[in-house]
Amino acid sequence: MRPRKLLRIARWEVTKNAGGIDRRTVGIALVALALFGLVVPFIISGDTGLDDGLYRVSVDEESPYYDVVDSEGAFVIREGGERAVSRSEVELYIGDGEIVYAESRKGIAAYGQLQSAVSRYNNRQLRQELNQTAAFPVSVVLEYRQQSALGDGLRLGGDSGGTDDSDDEDGSTGQTDGSDGGESGESDGSEAGDTSTDQPDDGEPDGPATDRETTTDTGGSGGPIGGFGASFTEDSISGSPSDINPPFPFQSLVLAFLVIIPMNFLIQAYGSTILSERTNRRGELLLVSPVSRFDIIGGKTLPYFVGGMAVEVAIIAGLFVLVNGQLGGPVSVLAVMPLVLLFLGATFLGAMFARSFKELTFVTVTITVTLTSYAFVPAIFTDVGAVALISPLTLLVRELQGEAISLAEFVFSTTPPLLCAGVFFGLGAGLYREEDMFDQRSLRGRVLDALVGPIPVRGKPGGFTARLNGLLPVDVTPLRQYLAVGGLTAALIPFVFVVQLLAIALLFALGEISVVLILVVVAVVEELAKSLHIYAGYTHRRFASGRRRAVLLGVASGVGFFLGEKIALLAQLVGLPDLAVGEAGLQGGIIPGPPVLTVLLFLLAPLALHVVTAGISAVGASRSKRAYVVAVGTAMLVHLAYNLTVVVSVV
Amino acid sequence: MIAAQDLRKEYGEFVAVEGSTFSVEEGEVFGIVGPNGAGKTTTLKMLAGLLDPTAGTAQVAGYDTSETEMRKHLGFLPEESPLYEEMTATSYLRFFADLYDVPDGVAETRITETLDKLDLEHRERQLGDMSKGMKRKVAITRSLVNDPDVLIYDEPASGLDPLTTNYIIQFTEELAAEGKTIVFSAHNLFHVESICDRVAIMNDGEIVARGDLDELQQAHGETTYHVYTTVEVADSVRENGRYRRTVESMSEVEETRTLAQEADGEVVDIRTEESSLEEVFLNVADPGSRSEG
Repeated sequence: MRPRKLLRIARWEVTKNAGGIDRRTVGIALVALALFGLVVPFIISGDTGLDDGLYRVSVDEESPYYDVVDSEGAFVIREGGERAVSRSEVELYIGDGEIVYAESRKGIAAYGQLQSAVSRYNNRQLRQELNQTAAFPVSVVLEYRQQSALGDGLRLGGDSGGTDDSDDEDGSTGQTDGSDGGESGESDGSEAGDTSTDQPDDGEPDGPATDRETTTDTGGSGGPIGGFGASFTEDSISGSPSDINPPFPFQSLVLAFLVIIPMNFLIQAYGSTILSERTNRRGELLLVSPVSRFDIIGGKTLPYFVGGMAVEVAIIAGLFVLVNGQLGGPVSVLAVMPLVLLFLGATFLGAMFARSFKELTFVTVTITVTLTSYAFVPAIFTDVGAVALISPLTLLVRELQGEAISLAEFVFSTTPPLLCAGVFFGLGAGLYREEDMFDQRSLRGRVLDALVGPIPVRGKPGGFTARLNGLLPVDVTPLRQYLAVGGLTAALIPFVFVVQLLAIALLFALGEISVVLILVVVAVVEELAKSLHIYAGYTHRRFASGRRRAVLLGVASGVGFFLGEKIALLAQLVGLPDLAVGEAGLQGGIIPGPPVLTVLLFLLAPLALHVVTAGISAVGASRSKRAYVVAVGTAMLVHLAYNLTVVVSVV
Repeated sequence: MIAAQDLRKEYGEFVAVEGSTFSVEEGEVFGIVGPNGAGKTTTLKMLAGLLDPTAGTAQVAGYDTSETEMRKHLGFLPEESPLYEEMTATSYLRFFADLYDVPDGVAETRITETLDKLDLEHRERQLGDMSKGMKRKVAITRSLVNDPDVLIYDEPASGLDPLTTNYIIQFTEELAAEGKTIVFSAHNLFHVESICDRVAIMNDGEIVARGDLDELQQAHGETTYHVYTTVEVADSVRENGRYRRTVESMSEVEETRTLAQEADGEVVDIRTEESSLEEVFLNVADPGSRSEG
């Protein structure tokens, strides 16, 4: 790859497309961007003001309800007495000892709103009381703990806070801030297990602690995201137990979505430019010029990557300014980078598969849904546990909350999508040549084309294998094919890993059945990853026939997978296997502790499994499509049986 | 300058080119003709390095066609060359000149001179707004921005009006006169005949005949003799007061002479007519049609 050529192509890509956009379109885009920027703060704060002045209320200034109504945005005060209600001039009339509401849906809704407003008003008043013990005679410490196994759900501090070891170690149980209840939005909602969550900013408890309990919503609805966080949490500070919410980080989701939104626009433009090279053979002349396909792909991708990152940096900077009042987020920027590459990589491969812009639309929608799920769903559990770290967006949310992020967590979150993006670009680059770019083969055919790309061709002149064969007395083609098959299997591991992580994130809340479902996903995905390229090789007549050759290809694939899956060691860095579902999904790559015999057993057993199942699939692939389907199905069943045995005996 | 040895290209079960061997000397214009699907374009693309041969080797300007360096010495014009229609002609050509590492000043001069020769106006117009002929001229200019030693032109005048076609064929002749080595494919055999030094005829993926026009005519063509007599003989037709009998061998010419003498007449003129490339092509590519015809 030559940087000068790559940059020239990148510059051309920008100017070429710039020529096709008129000033009006640019203007509209800028206005849309400006509007988006204006709306973001309201989205984050949740204060969209949609119900401002929705209900008209007649209330006397001397009434104790006046302040309630006046402080509620949904109400607007109007002149008029009780008759104003009958004349439909107001929805509510609050008189001396009576409240009259219009006999309409709006009137009833206005009355309900008033009840809520009164409750909120009272809570605010109570929080301002000097004697908080009197204001809140019953206090409950609500503590969310990380899941350690299935069914280990959320616990209330009432039955564990006083006895939990961590409380003792911390020494801060009951050091709750009786007077600071209203500021729990500043408490660290995400530090599950930290019972000193209600300390004031100076770290000193400012109220009596041991003789009472304070209702504290730790980790409730978003944690300490400045003033915005407070707006979400303050209403659940006091009230009935039904007001206690599970740790559902609404804000985290909103923030995560803000980062993902631009990606969905970016991939539309990027997919179009890649596909436009393929329509009407437009890209043929670039292929015949003295640049490599990697220069072309790199040059065409660079502007979209740089543009995407620029937008992401702007959004992240904006979020930090809005939420924390200062610039920041270097870790977030680095965390989002693999995600941008993953979107682009998947789109590149998809655009190499699509035969028309109609198909490209289907591809980009699929990518949007899948990758948004991958990035978004785990982030829901930011305040729950390690499972959230599957998504790099979790790092963003956590940095935004001021939490420290360890190197291990960063590596765990970002490596799989980064490697996956590399796999996507690699497979797509294999198709970026004349005979694959411009044909109209089916999606299935193109997938097989992409997979077979790295496998050397028997007897191909001029290639590396041919040169080696010229130097050596033996034909090295089979050896190179075994290496290519094993290497390709290993290269697909990040993709397998990401699918498994996504399955864990999607299924872990389903209870015990999720373990079985994840094991099924694991067996299906891993067996396909080990055998699909072998099948592709046979369909493209890359391999010599014969059962022995097929078995050896299976062995190569099995060994490649075994070595490659050690990437799952990453999971150990952040403790994901502590989850039962995590262990079920990632068992192949996790090395248990001693003794040595056990270690060997756990090393060799997965190796044997992968070699045997890949061998079964390879033998099927060497015969026919139907035989391959039967063989890979058998391999999946063997794999599932093995996984179930391991889980039953170990978990 | 070009050497192809046993080139073979398979697409799955389909063999597009089979055992194609030929060479082209420096400064030579080599034509490849054949019916649709004969393997001409596949052969040209293998020479240009766009397609990897399944078997066999090809070298252009001393480089294997798989080498990137080879492309610096090559100007390739595909049969269809859709351009980046959002670009102007000059920006498009400058971009490709950059890719070929042509210095800006040299590129500017070369582009201007070539466009002048091709009489292309409206150079700052977007390519999407240009006519097909204008686009073809831009594509030809692009194939020359790097001043290549070898030109591979696949149907350079395909689908153009006669005027533009003539213009492009004349321009190709000028390039040949400048000493460029040209491999040229065309459906219009008159054009091939007029500018090619040697021709290969392809059919069903194989080269079925090759050589210069004389060689091809001798090997695969026919010579027709028009024998004019003063008297009517068998199979003759009256023409300008004489009788013309058309025969295909010297023995038949002698037979005609005998017939005329027997009828108290004589042979007054014999004219020879060689097969055109088109007829040679039809003989080679589809011998059945000739015999049936």
